[in-house]
Formats: sequence, C-alpha cells, structure tokens
Amino acid sequence: MVRYLVRRLILLIGVVFIVSIGSFYLLHLLPGDPTAVILGTGDTPANKAKLFAQLGLNKPIWEQYFVWIRNVLRGNLGTSFISQTSVWSVVKAALPIDVEIIVLSQILAFLVAIPLAIRSARRPDGPLDRILGAGSFTLLSIPSFVLIVLLVLFVSIKLGVGHTGPSSYVSLSADWIGNLESLSLPAITLGIGSFVVYYRVLRSDLIATLQEEFITLARSKGISARRIMWRHALRPSAVALCGTAGVNIGGLLASGFIVQYLLSIPGLGYELIESVGLSDYLVVQGIVLVVCVGVILINFGFDLLTNIVDPRIRRE
Amino acid sequence: MTDHPKLLVVKDLRTTFATPSGPLPAVGGVSFELGTNETLGIVGESGSGKTVLSRTIMGLQPRRNVEVTGSVLLKGFEVVGASEKEKRSIWGLEVAMIFQDPMTSLNPVMRIGKQIDEILRVRQGMDRRAAKARAVELLELVGIPSPAERYGVFPRELSGGMRQRVVIATALAGSPQLLMADEPTTGLDVTIQAQILNLLDSVKEQMKMSVVLVTHDLGVVATRTSRIIVMYAGRIVEIGSTREVFRRHRMPYTRALLDAIPKVSNPSHSRLVAIPGRPPNLLDLPTGCAFAPRCAYATDICRVQRPRLEPAEESGHAFACWNPLPVAEGALT
Amino acid sequence: MSSSLIVHEMVEEAHDRPARKKKLGVLFWICVGWLVLNFIGAIFANVLPLEDPLFQNYAVVNAGPSLHHLFGTDDLGRDIFARIVFGSRVSIEASLGSMLIGFGIGAPLGMLSAYRRGKFDSVVTAVMYVLLAFPAIIATIAVLSFWTPRSLLKIIIVVGVASIPLVYRVIRGATLNYSTRDFVVAAKVQGATDRRILMKELLPNVAPVGVSFLLIGIATVVTLEGALAFLGLSVNPPTPSWGNMINESISILQTNPWLAVFPSLAMCLFLLCLNFIGDRLRSHFEVSEGKI
Repeated sequence: MVRYLVRRLILLIGVVFIVSIGSFYLLHLLPGDPTAVILGTGDTPANKAKLFAQLGLNKPIWEQYFVWIRNVLRGNLGTSFISQTSVWSVVKAALPIDVEIIVLSQILAFLVAIPLAIRSARRPDGPLDRILGAGSFTLLSIPSFVLIVLLVLFVSIKLGVGHTGPSSYVSLSADWIGNLESLSLPAITLGIGSFVVYYRVLRSDLIATLQEEFITLARSKGISARRIMWRHALRPSAVALCGTAGVNIGGLLASGFIVQYLLSIPGLGYELIESVGLSDYLVVQGIVLVVCVGVILINFGFDLLTNIVDPRIRRE
Repeated sequence: MTDHPKLLVVKDLRTTFATPSGPLPAVGGVSFELGTNETLGIVGESGSGKTVLSRTIMGLQPRRNVEVTGSVLLKGFEVVGASEKEKRSIWGLEVAMIFQDPMTSLNPVMRIGKQIDEILRVRQGMDRRAAKARAVELLELVGIPSPAERYGVFPRELSGGMRQRVVIATALAGSPQLLMADEPTTGLDVTIQAQILNLLDSVKEQMKMSVVLVTHDLGVVATRTSRIIVMYAGRIVEIGSTREVFRRHRMPYTRALLDAIPKVSNPSHSRLVAIPGRPPNLLDLPTGCAFAPRCAYATDICRVQRPRLEPAEESGHAFACWNPLPVAEGALT
Repeated sequence: MSSSLIVHEMVEEAHDRPARKKKLGVLFWICVGWLVLNFIGAIFANVLPLEDPLFQNYAVVNAGPSLHHLFGTDDLGRDIFARIVFGSRVSIEASLGSMLIGFGIGAPLGMLSAYRRGKFDSVVTAVMYVLLAFPAIIATIAVLSFWTPRSLLKIIIVVGVASIPLVYRVIRGATLNYSTRDFVVAAKVQGATDRRILMKELLPNVAPVGVSFLLIGIATVVTLEGALAFLGLSVNPPTPSWGNMINESISILQTNPWLAVFPSLAMCLFLLCLNFIGDRLRSHFEVSEGKI
C-alpha cells in the first residue's frame, strides 16, 4: 500500500513537472519574436522592456524556466498585455463556473443513468433495454457541440425558453435560481454525454453482476429484489463507475469549453477561446497550465480513490 | 402443516431448460422424502443434474427459459409454481443454501458481518446492535477466531475455508430447518474439507436441522449422511440408506463411483480408477438406460428401454438397472 | 457458478463445438456502404459535378434546400452540399493521417514490447505511462493554439503524436494476451524467427483489436476536428470542414438553421456508422470492450 502510494506520488510529481515544462515551452513555439506576438497591439518599448523582465528573456532558457516556475508557484501567472489584467485573476473568476457546470452535469447524468441501467439490467433484451440501447448508441455518435447547437436550435428558438442570448450568464452570488437557469443548458448537454457512457457501463456491469453467485445467495436469504439490486448488485459497480467519471474529466472539460463559448458563459473555456482569438498567449498559457494540472490531480485522486476504496483489492 | 411427518417431499420433479438447441431436461423426474434432523447425500458426476435439483428444490432456478413441473413440498409449502415473492417467505428462514465456491458466493464489497446479519435485520426486524451481537455469535459458532474483530472485514481478507465458514454462518442466521449444501467443499483444500464437513455436522446437531449434502465425491457422504441418492443424467439411479448403498449397491454406476474413491489401503502408485466414457448429452438422451453406453454390464434391453426404480431387499433401498450387480455383502470394506 | 452458466456449459459440452459467431447483419453493410460513399465523395470531390465550394453567389444567400442547391446555401451564398462533400476531406485526411502516425509508431512498439518483454518493455511502458497521464485533449488544444500558422498537417502531427501512447497501450495489451499462448511457444520451439512469429502468429490475432481501436480513433479525430473548429484551431476559413461549417452556422442559427443541420447530420451519420461497424466487429471477433 505504502509502496503503491509512493510510486503514484512520484509519477504525479514527474508528470506535473513535465506539464510545467511543456506549458512554459509553449511560448517558444510561437514563430519569430515572441514579445511582438504576445504584446500584439500593445507593442511599445516600455511594454517590451516589462515583458522582457517578466519572462527573463535575456537569460538562457533553463533560467527562464526557473524564473517562470518561481512566479507560478507564487500564484503569479503573468499579466496580460492585451487586457492589462493578471492571468491568475482571469482564471480565478472563470474556474468556479466550469466546476459548477461539471458538477451539475454529473449529478444529472447519474440521476438518470442509474435507474435506467437498473431497469435495463433487470430485463436484458427486453423492450426498454432495446430502446435505451439503440438510443444511447445514437447519442454516443453525437458530439457535444452538435448536441448543444441542436438543443439551442430546438429548445430555445422554437420553444422560446431558456437564456441563450449573449452574456445571459447570471452569477451564483447574484441570484442562484437565475444562475441555475443560465447553466442548465450546458449542464444538460454535458450531462447527456456522460449519461450515455455511465448508462452503458453500468448496464453491462450490472448484467454481469446479477449472474454472480453472491446474488443467488442474497436471493436465498429471502430479501426483496429492490434490496438485492441496490445493496448487493449496484455496490460492486459503484467504484468502477466513479473511475469512469474520473477518466472522462478531460474530455468533459473540453466539451464544456465549447458549450460555454457558444452560450457566452464566462468560464475557462470562454476565456480560452477568446484569448486564442485575440492571440493573448499569456492567458492561454495560464489556463492551459491550470487545466492540465487540475485534470492530472483529479485523475490521480480518482485513481487513488478507486484503488483504496475498492475492498476487492487486497491491501498489504 | 404439523400433521405432515416429513420436512421435504419431492414428487416427480422435472426441470427443463429451453436452450437454442432444444429442451434440456436437467432434472428428469425425481421423487424422494426427507425427515427432520436427517442428512441426505445427493451424489453424481458433474452434469448429472444434482446442482440444478438442489436449486429447483429451493425454487432458486433461473427465472427465464426454464420449466419446472412436479411438486416440492417444504413443510407443507408448495415451492413449484410459487412466485418469487411467496418463495421469499421461506427462503432464509425455513430453508437456506450454501454454495460451491466461497470465493464467489460472498459479496466482495460488503463487510462479512453485514452479510450475516442482513437477514436478521431485514427479515426479523432486529435492531442493529442485537443483529450485530447475533452475527458475532454465529461467527463464533462456525469457528472463526476473534469473531468481533472479523465482523467488519471484507471477504478478500479471509482464506477460502474461512469464507466458507462465513457462508455457513450466513445460512444459519435465519435458523432454517433445512440446509441445502451444494458441493460445499469442492473449492477448498483437502485439509480444510474435513473441517468444514465436521462443522456442518455439529451445527446440524446444535440447530436441529436437516441437511441435503450435494457432492460428486462418495467419500464425502460416507460417514456423514443417513441416506444417499445417486443421480445420473438427471434421474435417480439408486437410493437407499448410506449403509446399504455402500455395502449392497446394485447399480453398476454406483459401483463405478465407489471405485473412483482412492483408498488408503491401495498399494502406493496404483492406478486411479476413472469411469470410462463421458457423461451423456442431455439434449440427446438414449432411449434406454442413460448409463448403458458406458456400462460394462449393458445388454440389449438396456439400450432400448429405460429401467425403473425397483425396490431392493431392504425397505427404502431402490435401484434402476436391468442387470443389477449381485448382492455381495461387504462390497466395500 | 450460476445455474444459467451451468446450463450454458452443459449445452456447450454436449455439442463440443466453438460458440457460433454473431452475424454481421444488413445494417453493418449499409454502414460500410455509407462510409465508402463518403470516401468516394472526398476523393473525387474535384471531378464530381459539384458547385465550387468557395464560390460566393450573393444572389442566393441563406437559401433553403432546393433542386438547384440540394442543402441550400450559406450566408455567403455558397452551396452547402458542395461544402459538406469537400469538408469531409478535412475530417478524413485528419483522421487517417493522424492514425497513420499513431498506429505507425504505437502499434509496432506495442507488439515488440509485449513480445520481447524485459528491459525494453519496462522502459517503453514507463515512458508511455507518463504520457498517458497527460490530458491529451487539453495538450492538443494548447500546442495547436501556439503553433502558428495553423494547417491541416500540424493538426495531423499533433493529434497523431498524442494518440501514440493510447495505441501502444491497446496493442501491447492485446499482444500480451497471445504472446504467452501455446501456439507462439510452439512456433518458437520450431525455430521460427521473431519476425515470422510477430507477423504470422501474433499480428492476425492482434488485428481485430487494432481495427476496432482504429475505428474508435477515426471517430475521435472527426469529433476533435469539430471541437478544434470551435476553438478556431481547425483549417483556416474559407476552406470548408464539417467543424468549420457548424461553427459558422452558430451566428446565423436563427436565420438559417439548415447551415447547422446538414453538416451536423453529415458528421453524426459518419460517426454513427463508424461506431456501429466497430461494435459489430467487436462482437463478431469477440473483442471485449475492456481490451480497448
């Protein structure tokens, strides 16, 4: 157990280190004089000098990295020369929105996937199972950005409900009902994508579990079918299901980016796309670093969780 | 109910599975009775239908693609044709089951104590503390050391023998009158097997239960059962008191099973006896005796007409064979 | 063992023959046909009687479907049908190109790793393990946004490289499954060369897993191109691509929904066929999803 933890931790540190180098090096992918590209319209001698100092551009590249990483560790991701704001403040304002959308979407996905998977597994190849099987398979082939376009098209425009106009986002502190309403469409879109995965994983998992001998033993105790399903059959799948959720977090974030952009919700994705469009590379770099490290940490957490919580894995 | 002297009465029980290749008669007309505080052994090769029989008696057969006819009266309760809900009333409290493989018959993600006292809390409405106390008692009864600490462990942390003890404790929790043990020692080390069988014996006495012991190993049932059923191809081919079946068996198949038991008295390095041929294809049973293709004594009639169960000298002893072995006192010594 | 499994084994034993393979079915071939049609369209787009996908006809802006413009026109009067056919080129080139890189490097490495084992295997696996811990999608977006000017070739390179560790893991796992089996040992004992064992004994067995994963990979890249288009990281407009078209449709969703519907439909149908073919092949070759 301790050995496992140490090995995972070393891997984690190694990967975060490599990610930091990669993020740092991104600026050097820019063709020509990076300062000119980064400064864009604000390319004045004064700004240029400031940027040189900020990035330590006159020093050798490995020293530049240490200057940069020291700043990052202090929470200083640099200052955008285009919007004149600190990158960290942009990230800090946007990140909670992403977290909220993802949490909402996962709640929705689980709330729908679990009962439906249970019903399907109770009668495999029954009418409900067949319909859900075909439906989920079709949904599997619809990317989230197509889904959101179709949702906006049919729900908002045809039915005239929901907030879809630009800057319809309402902050949580201002009005929580309005906030939920403005985030409902992105949460539903991401939720549908996750639902398909969870439903299919859980359904086949449950069908396999219900064949197990311990289910027959539970039946032979004379306890109700409902209790067998929830207490005995669902539990072994729960850990695996959480694992699936953890693995999907990267794709989920990326889908969230596009959905935010389409609905003008000022999350990380919106800021990222705006910054790419404006060539505001320092902001892009900051967001990439934060998101990458975040995804790695979440994956690490879920990995640890599934390995420690699962009683089927022997602990030495 | 009390006027019926027998705990279990099985009459012409048939279990037929609908398979893509046609109907498969896993159990093809079995009748027997079982009294209280009695131990019955059901013996046969794998595929002889003994496991399906034990599950059909409990009503635990798969719910789909299966047809059950005949009658199983358990303390006056008709199991055949009862709904799952009706059967739930006897499951656990009147009849309980132990399974072959303790590695798969316990829920891997549930603490063992919870699996034992589940029936107490759900079926008998015991509160959490009382149920836990009883579960610890049961763990002690089945011989698990430091039971209070073991209450909270997961199955993964126990050895195979310990797990089978836990399974037995689970079955005993509802104080059933009948315990169906389906190959309870097959998945275990030889040294553990005897311990588990002795444990079954002792809890049977303590709890005044009847036990049906299903096994492929006649050696297992020799000293622990009062009566034996020998099954072949879904049918009873010999039934009788353990003593009679061992000493004066008439069916060649029973003899073959007995010969297959390695004996300590044999000289070392002597060849192990195996039954020649393969178990029959249940989808395509011969018209005559199902054992005929493998039987050294088979004659023409064996191949065209199925023998019925005929009574032997001693009452309760019966066999199905056209060419029974001569009565030889002490065939197995 | 549960009773239904017991019955299953009884039947299997009784018949003494391998389980029958599931048939592929008519739908499978319809899907294959649709993909082939897409490929033909992409290859021969230049010689097909299509309108110029870049020609802006201001006389018919945002027109609905008609005989003249099968799927209508966009806000610049360009023919949507022609743009979809030409746009499929980007999706197909990007997916085939990147999978060529991913499989070209990942598959041989994976097979060698699993066959050789030892130091080579542990080193390569360790490196791939670190790469796998990377959030591939985010990394792809990051590199593509800095690596200017953008082009299809750069997309192919970045996505292809990002897919190497995934391909490696799948192929290594599948090879490992077979490399210790008796038929491989038997071939070794008979003195077959490593090259021969890899090509003749292992490759045919690993291929079904590889093909299944290739289909999943293609579907992923087609989706990714769409996502990149929204981020402004796909091929530069006015070059049509499915992603670009859907992205362009957003601003005029209310006035011209057809511009969103048809490219979306083209992309989803393409993905649906890929997924369906992969699913059928997996059950046909009894590849469990866990192996992929």
